[in-house]
Amino acid sequence: MNLLLIAMIAAMLIPMYQALKDDDIWQKMLALGSISSKAGIMTLFISVLRDDWMIGAVGAIILTVGNAGLMLLAHIIKRMDDL
Amino acid sequence: MIDVLSYLFFGVGIFFWFWGTSHLVGKRSVLFKLHSLSVADTLGSILIVIGLLIKIPSRWPLLTLAIISLAIWNTMLGYVLAHCSSDEAENQKEFPTETL
Repeated sequence: MNLLLIAMIAAMLIPMYQALKDDDIWQKMLALGSISSKAGIMTLFISVLRDDWMIGAVGAIILTVGNAGLMLLAHIIKRMDDL
Repeated sequence: MIDVLSYLFFGVGIFFWFWGTSHLVGKRSVLFKLHSLSVADTLGSILIVIGLLIKIPSRWPLLTLAIISLAIWNTMLGYVLAHCSSDEAENQKEFPTETL
């Protein structure tokens, strides 16, 4: 299971590199959206490893509110573009 | 048998993750990346959570909640990002530029 976790961390580093490298705001938003859902899933995965279900609840909250926050940010960026 | 099945789900899920992010690094348009990324992320993550569900069935309420919120919110995020990143005039209905 630890090997799987290391593979997940590696899978999360790629969008981080992409978010760092790219200048276009929408490519950066794509990378950040990908990072947020991966982080939520990793939190759930770790809560299974540790059998601590408060962390599991945090993972479920990250999946829901994290994506909702990104949606609001996307709309704000769109309005800023319109100005 | 249960362990083998859950590891199979984990493996396929992580493969989808890597496949989705490999498209992210290329030089393609936002919408192309968005499609492959949201498909890979959502599907891969759901497979991983199903793998967790098989491994620990006693916690099915929380894991089912994670699957549902993933399926809804990740897809919705894809729509919103596609809508907001597109510049065509037909998307400017909510806020006509002269009112801003």
